[in-house]
Amino acid sequence: MMDNGVPNTVPGPAVVSPHPEAQENIRTLKRHGFSTRFVHWAVAVSAIILVLSGLGQLPLFHRYMVDELPYLGWTSDFNVTLAIHYSAAMLLTFAAIYHVLVHTLRREFTIVPRRGDFKESYLIIKAMLGSGEEPDSHKYLAEQRLAYAFIGANLALLLATGYIKVLKNLAGSDLPYEMLWTNTQLHNLATVLLILGVVGHLTAFAFKANRPLLPSIFHGQVDAEYARNRHCLWCEEIEDQ
Amino acid sequence: MGDISRREFLKRSAASGLTGGVILSGLEGLAVASTGEPVGSVIDLTRCDGCADREVPACVSACRTKNRGRFPEPQENIGDYWPRDKHEDWSEKRGLTSRLTPYNWTFVQHVTVEHEGQEIEVSVPRRCMHCDNPPCAKVCPFSAQKKTSEGPVLIDEDLCFGGAKCRSVCPWGIPARQSGVGLYLKLMPKLAGGGVMYKCDLCYGRLQDGKTPACLEACPNDAILFGTKPEMRNYAYARAKETAGYIYGEEENGGTSTFYVSPVPFESIDSALKKQKQAQKNPQAPGFPTMPVEAGNYLNTPNGMAWGFAVAPVAGVVAAGAVAYRSFKGEESEK
Repeated sequence: MMDNGVPNTVPGPAVVSPHPEAQENIRTLKRHGFSTRFVHWAVAVSAIILVLSGLGQLPLFHRYMVDELPYLGWTSDFNVTLAIHYSAAMLLTFAAIYHVLVHTLRREFTIVPRRGDFKESYLIIKAMLGSGEEPDSHKYLAEQRLAYAFIGANLALLLATGYIKVLKNLAGSDLPYEMLWTNTQLHNLATVLLILGVVGHLTAFAFKANRPLLPSIFHGQVDAEYARNRHCLWCEEIEDQ
Repeated sequence: MGDISRREFLKRSAASGLTGGVILSGLEGLAVASTGEPVGSVIDLTRCDGCADREVPACVSACRTKNRGRFPEPQENIGDYWPRDKHEDWSEKRGLTSRLTPYNWTFVQHVTVEHEGQEIEVSVPRRCMHCDNPPCAKVCPFSAQKKTSEGPVLIDEDLCFGGAKCRSVCPWGIPARQSGVGLYLKLMPKLAGGGVMYKCDLCYGRLQDGKTPACLEACPNDAILFGTKPEMRNYAYARAKETAGYIYGEEENGGTSTFYVSPVPFESIDSALKKQKQAQKNPQAPGFPTMPVEAGNYLNTPNGMAWGFAVAPVAGVVAAGAVAYRSFKGEESEK
């Protein structure tokens, strides 16, 4: 997410070198550190659990007989699915707060959208479809920055409205109905938008050009040659450091 | 067994300063509404005889008459809840008064229980208890229900999707569903939603007009009382003491605004109702609530976890601070 990568040989320690010969020996670059990968997967896992357990709250699993499948009888038990929803929301809260704070303290904002990202995204997608030349990219593609902002904003809205829902459920709470009604609709709307955002995020990997990015979210490294060709602005930034 | 009438209770409580005025008439309904206190009711089973001399109990008739204009008029050829091959349609059974349906928001159960060597017949009027922390309203996924500041729990019939989650989380399964009517028909009727849920609203409109609930007004035995909740609670205790009786509704589901007073333990009533339910043609059919004593609130478990929502952000701040500090020290960094 908002981290700055540094070049790295594999195996071996992190190395930054502007020397052309040294660069040729670098096979991978470190794109994501542990923090970023932890946050990504904590958010991914918690969001998937939240969406599924949230659908269970609608309620859908009894209607669609999911609870009649082997070992899935519990899916229509609102007590169980709400407890799961709460647990996943706590994990998401932890990851979100950690993410925002750690990158703010480190002054790492490479994934924050920049001016011109919409136009640049259009050009990148157009190029991936075989028309035109792709503009040089920083560490993150313009559409990655936009996707981050879109998914992040929806998660923030879900967390805010979710916290109000938790307060609402407490015995003795007496929040205004009009506020709760609006809160509920915003929570539901943000859920739909999040699902669309995640689908869009995953659809990006339907394009072959994006697939070299995939391994980095698992082990942190990205192919150096790929990075030099596509994320040359990032490589230049690294070399300038 | 001593006896105490509502008027007698009023006289005594007014004399003792215990209560300002239990509702007896329409004019006094306005007085309760203006106190700003939540309302409550007492259902006195020591007085209720289920209107043995009538075909339909007076409270049930009054409720049906008062709410007739709000009963659902479903479309013809109601579709099933796909992929299931069923739907809930009570429109052909509008005359049914022996259970809760979308066309019958209160009814009277009759049980015979043995107590202290005697067989005692008890008639139990049933309707929504209007809980203090109503799971039905709290967990409705579309906020189609609300707990009013006055106490009654209301369903917005224009917003309800009829998923019946409210019925699942109600310890008594009170709300009744009618399919073929409501908002879901305008969206994806085959795939989502199931109709509209209906239940007693404690005659909320009448309360706003300064009147009392229709069932109370119709009861010939003074078995239903209405007033501010503290007054009703006090009356229930006074009446239970007077009759060596039992109280139901104060603790159940985390507290309700309905207090039953019974001459027999509610465990016995619940047991008898369970037997009746099991003997029915379809014991799973909704609309025939039992009386589980100390029934827990569905929200108890999640609310018991709520402390985690205070811990999670603090843990995030601490972890981020620790990792950032290590970065500053050069021990761990992505730069």
